[in-house]
Amino acid sequence: MDPKALAALGELLGDRLRTSLETRICYSYDATGKRFLPDAVAHPVDAEEVRRIVLLANQHRFPVVPRGAGSGFSGGSLPVHGGVVLSTERMDRIVAIDTENLYAVVEPGVVTETLKEEARRRGLFYPPDPASLKFSTIGGNIAECSGGMCAVKYGVTRDYVLGLEAVLGTGELVRTGVATVKGVVGYDLTRMLVGSEGTLGIVTRATLRLVPLPETAATMLALFSGNREAARAVNAVVAARVTPSAMELMDRTAIDCVLAVVPIPLPEGTGSALLLEVDGPAPSVARDAERLAEVCRSCGAIEVRVASDARGREELWKMRRSISPGLRRLAPVKMNEDIVVPRSRLADMFDFLAGLSARKRVRIVNFGHAGDGNIHVNVMTSGTDADETRRAEEAVEEVFRKTVEVGGTISGEHGIGIAKAPFLEMEVGPLGVSVMKRLKECFDPNGILNPGKIFLSEAAVRP
Amino acid sequence: MKDETLAALTGLCAKCGTCRTVCTLYPERKAEIAVARGKVALLEAAMNGEDPDADSVQEALTDCLLCGRCERACPNQVLVEEIVMKGRADLAEEVGIPAWKSILFGKVMASPGATAAARKAAAAGERLLLPKVPTGSGLHYRFPEGLGGKGRTVPELPARGFLESLGRKEAASGEVMLFVGCVFDHVFPQVGRAAYETVKASGKSVAVFRDAACCGLPAMVSGDRRSAMACAEGNLRRLRSAEPATIVFPCGSCLLMFRRNLLSLVPQGVPLHEDALWVADRSTDYASFLLASGVVGRLPDPPAGEKAGEIGYHDPCHLSGTLGKGPEAREVLRRAAGDAFAEMEGADRCCGYGGTFNVRDYRTSARIGEGKVSLAARGGTKVISTACSGCVLQMRDMAARVDPSLRVVHIAELVAQALARGEGTAPRR
Repeated sequence: MDPKALAALGELLGDRLRTSLETRICYSYDATGKRFLPDAVAHPVDAEEVRRIVLLANQHRFPVVPRGAGSGFSGGSLPVHGGVVLSTERMDRIVAIDTENLYAVVEPGVVTETLKEEARRRGLFYPPDPASLKFSTIGGNIAECSGGMCAVKYGVTRDYVLGLEAVLGTGELVRTGVATVKGVVGYDLTRMLVGSEGTLGIVTRATLRLVPLPETAATMLALFSGNREAARAVNAVVAARVTPSAMELMDRTAIDCVLAVVPIPLPEGTGSALLLEVDGPAPSVARDAERLAEVCRSCGAIEVRVASDARGREELWKMRRSISPGLRRLAPVKMNEDIVVPRSRLADMFDFLAGLSARKRVRIVNFGHAGDGNIHVNVMTSGTDADETRRAEEAVEEVFRKTVEVGGTISGEHGIGIAKAPFLEMEVGPLGVSVMKRLKECFDPNGILNPGKIFLSEAAVRP
Repeated sequence: MKDETLAALTGLCAKCGTCRTVCTLYPERKAEIAVARGKVALLEAAMNGEDPDADSVQEALTDCLLCGRCERACPNQVLVEEIVMKGRADLAEEVGIPAWKSILFGKVMASPGATAAARKAAAAGERLLLPKVPTGSGLHYRFPEGLGGKGRTVPELPARGFLESLGRKEAASGEVMLFVGCVFDHVFPQVGRAAYETVKASGKSVAVFRDAACCGLPAMVSGDRRSAMACAEGNLRRLRSAEPATIVFPCGSCLLMFRRNLLSLVPQGVPLHEDALWVADRSTDYASFLLASGVVGRLPDPPAGEKAGEIGYHDPCHLSGTLGKGPEAREVLRRAAGDAFAEMEGADRCCGYGGTFNVRDYRTSARIGEGKVSLAARGGTKVISTACSGCVLQMRDMAARVDPSLRVVHIAELVAQALARGEGTAPRR
């Protein structure tokens, strides 16, 4: 990077600009395990500083890569072309929680769980619950449109963003959206920015919708002999007109993975497990839980366990929570994909994955948010066997092809980043890519913001 | 820098970021370099030949309280404490150990005589030079703000340490050996005394480990392997030859050293390893011993209703967290103090001491500690009890800053009071 640019940034930020190799190393990675060294790390404290960093970037032509907690799975926060990593860690204030109009105004560095907790204390609920919610930030969640387990009932981050304040690639500060339930004034720039992975603008403030906190919840674990039975139960639950607040499916590969970490007694012949949760007012929770247990039994469940107290529910959730620690035990490297298929094609997809695993001779562990058709496909490798890695990469590509073929999408909640950039066109087609690039041109004409993401051919910043 | 054992340990980190949620230091620093993931990445870079500045990496590794929260939260079970200690030791070979540390750890603390002499000199010094601060836990002296002490208070050092106060006729070996630790010997001899009297109440033959060197934890966590070895060698040999069935530790950090850290300081293949295993097997925390030996069961019924909820318990990170010994102390307290004991707000929050961390960055250490102690005080706690020497030192200093009427004691002092009550004598202060 141009020393003049670094000097100007230093003048703007003082010791909140770091250029030491040690700090740069600490902002070179995310949860993909891949690494790219930035030239500098900036810790702005407000929108004005963000704006001035982007203005300097346009003047001196260096990339600016926004980063929340660096917990993404698609490489969204990796500085693949160097430049400045703009960390939102010091923009972490909850500005307001409006209990009359049910919304919160937050800075991008607020940790998702912090907002959820503050809302909870006021009897309110911010539903999005990515697995990383205890450390990932609202800014990152908005940039990647994070989902989570409760999406089946409550939707994803996008459904809770009412309005944004963001610095565009030009350095202009734009305010989008509303602080009301309704609003249709011109193009929906808010939705444009959600999921744009920091390539169109850097969110500096967000107005987020809150809902009343559900009164209580009940959890059920239904065990089936195989995925076909479990997938049939998923569709039967939907047909029973009960919307669970979570419906997680673990196939045999995931169950084995859990059992490697915690001994959970399971009946003979368990080949698939469905974890369901219902929430709401106590009488309806009790009724819905009973109805769902009945549905599972009628779909051939070997056993259904129900818990309505906190401790019992936690015991049932343990199975789901133990998958990730278990994965690491199986193999050191995982390619973690997050495809979504129409619910009615879940069983077919699981069959396909089992066949693929055998054909490519790679271990594939599948689990996920079956209620919304979102399956986490984890292709496990040693990372040291080149042939195995090649077979795994081929397997991933086949998974994506199959997903698109059955009418699904290649990323439900992780985003494209660098990990899925080669497959973007497979899903959206050449015209789709072209329209997206024209939009990018409009928001960020000099290619300052997060270059190298989403689009495979995206080069570094324009000269 | 090359270290295959270390590389195998760091290789397990998936960079997921879970450590950010629990790190005691992260809210203070708000920078990735503070958390385990950043430190692991730095060590990986150093081992991959990316050549980060060794002094700066050492500085980053030193900026850690070793509270162990990240390790316990880690979904991949990355051994962060081990990584940080190994990294510090490897880097110390490149950048050296600061002279004051190697003299203090290797010369003074490894030698019982030198430690006593150092205490006497320091006691004379504080009396001559520092202003007095009376507190609920006894007299303290305050360093002036401008003189590098940054307003720190230190307890009044005694003329005689606990071990020095023991008569020659007291047993030198027994079924039970009490490892008092430097702080409860030289700084708070009343804790050493209370631990001794209450352990003796088990009716077993109890000896105090007389020729103890420092447990070696301060040296080991500073990456000073040589000084840690100097401490460990003598301690292990003398403990082994005394052949106790049980070794009781009033201090959680000393216990951690003997239960866990020594086994990595003298790993398999090193001659002392077998002794370290032998000692580790017999080492136990104070509260567990009191429960197992029946002392707690024989305590007189606590006075009912008096000062209900005034006594809290602070979880030392090493004892409650790393070693999982949290419930035991509470069981002791329920029996010794009755209704006076109640869970205090933020009981498991780190006190911010971190040993040498407190010396190198007192301001941060104090901010964390003040937060902890004020939270307890606001919740109505008047006496904070705990079971680790570092935590007692830190929280007494913090109490002097926040609310000097707040007392900070070791649980052994409360048990001794309860015992005295049973004997019909006036409770000891």
